[in-house]
Amino acid sequence: MQEPNDILQVRNVYKDFSGLKVLTGVDFKVKENEKHAVIGPNGAGKTTLFNIISGKYKPSSGSIIFKGEDISGRSPHVLTRMKVSRSFQITNVFQELNVLENVRAGVRCDHGLRYHFLKTPGSIAEVNKKTEEILTLVGLAEVKQTLARELSYGQQRALEIAVTLSTEPELILLDEPTAGMTREETGEAIKMIDKVTASKTLIIIEHDMDVVFSLADTVSVLHNGSILISGSPEQIRNDQRVKDAYLGEEGD
Amino acid sequence: MKQRSHASLLAWGTLILVAGVLLPLAVRQYQLAILTEIIIFALFAVSYNLLLGYAGLLSFGHAMFFGTGAYTVAIVINHIPSLSFFGAVILSLSVTTITGLVVGSFLLRHKGTPFALLTLAFNALFYAIATKWHSITGGDDGLSIFRPDINIGFAQLSTSSIPAFYYITFIIIGLVMLFSWYFTRTAMGQTVLLMRENEERMKFLGYNTNVSRLILFVFTGFLAGLAGIFYALFFQFTSITAISIDMSTIVLLMVIIGGTGSFVGPIIGACVYIYLQDFLSDITDRWPFIMGLIFIFMILYVPKGLSGLIYSLIERLRGRRHLSRKVEIAE
Repeated sequence: MQEPNDILQVRNVYKDFSGLKVLTGVDFKVKENEKHAVIGPNGAGKTTLFNIISGKYKPSSGSIIFKGEDISGRSPHVLTRMKVSRSFQITNVFQELNVLENVRAGVRCDHGLRYHFLKTPGSIAEVNKKTEEILTLVGLAEVKQTLARELSYGQQRALEIAVTLSTEPELILLDEPTAGMTREETGEAIKMIDKVTASKTLIIIEHDMDVVFSLADTVSVLHNGSILISGSPEQIRNDQRVKDAYLGEEGD
Repeated sequence: MKQRSHASLLAWGTLILVAGVLLPLAVRQYQLAILTEIIIFALFAVSYNLLLGYAGLLSFGHAMFFGTGAYTVAIVINHIPSLSFFGAVILSLSVTTITGLVVGSFLLRHKGTPFALLTLAFNALFYAIATKWHSITGGDDGLSIFRPDINIGFAQLSTSSIPAFYYITFIIIGLVMLFSWYFTRTAMGQTVLLMRENEERMKFLGYNTNVSRLILFVFTGFLAGLAGIFYALFFQFTSITAISIDMSTIVLLMVIIGGTGSFVGPIIGACVYIYLQDFLSDITDRWPFIMGLIFIFMILYVPKGLSGLIYSLIERLRGRRHLSRKVEIAE
């Protein structure tokens, strides 16, 4: 079943929280460099799925295969070092630090500056250069000295993505990056996401169908804890089951 | 702004150095002894604040390292004849560090209340060992020691006089304190701060936060151990006070009085505590009662400690409105 270019396979993953069955056999694959959207009504288990792939939770059963290796149940820091990185639906950055330090925290981790007793975080030119690159990429270079908590909402969401990118991931998981944004901000954010995830693999949870259809190569619909269907945006748009499951609940 | 802070840092550093070197010429022996004690406790308090202020970890057991240092140095000096001054210090520091590693490995997964209670329990265990293992620790009687001389190849330096020991303390602990300050700006020091800010995100950035906590714990134990070693060498005596929960409470009070929000806070706290104790115990036998009242007042009305008070006065004088000052984060 394993195709050589599958970077991620989620195999029959179950998750229940003290009896509450959230995921009931999730199966899907993501190819290298694919832009894969996961959609589904509220409570379908999308974020739980992310929490399992990124190591926050262990699956009750089933496995996660990343680059041919079973990674289910590994700690977040181990997965991060394997180049898996995720963002959070609710901005989860270092609010009392400035933008530069937020991003540098992730960059320096991979450059021998995790626990160093002599070197300061800004002592390696390579680290500073990468940090600047990421800041420019997400459009925060101008506000790099601003404290995270003083940023506008749109900038906070951009910082969330910048911090996610700071570990230089190969597989990026974005959990509703445009949540709470205006139409205009969303449009900008999508352009930015498209740019920063070029030549990387992206899995994105999204509610906004415009975003999904403009960004994704493949869409998986999560419904009642399992994948209803995976396919191209066209297939998903025209699928009757999706209309029933998704629009039936939210489109009133 | 940065230029000026560097300049003022240099000015302060020079001032402290000059004052530290010249003081023995100006003050009486008794005052110098008090000053030596203050330097030792300042390091103890600084090490404690790396846990409480920088990492947000409340420990009720910091005396276990202070006491381990104090006991080990006394034991090795008494049992190994012809052990040099630095030999005794280094040997005792190694023992304290290993102790930190062992205790820390039980604590590294814990924060908040479980961490506080576990440190309390460990401290009680260490105290029990010190009291009951009479043949080694002297139990309630404690251990007396002679300070070994310092041998630097061509010359023998006597450590027995008060000024001599003051200079040794000032230089060694001063350097270690300087490094502790630098530590707060290093990658590891910043990792500790970032973890206090948002530990979950740190995990998702590739940091093993349990390992970080262990490293910090061992480091603060090392510093507290060094303070304990000098405490024993200073008094030429180690008693169960050094490893008691009282000692853990004293360092907590010093840090609270001085303020957890800055590096110098605990140093100010140690100064005030030792001077108050000295001053009040001269006047009355009921000095602990008065100190208790002062602490209650401080915690109720000056929650940011004396350093917080000083900073907000300075800011007010400069006409700024931002009075809150957190532990600094280096650029």
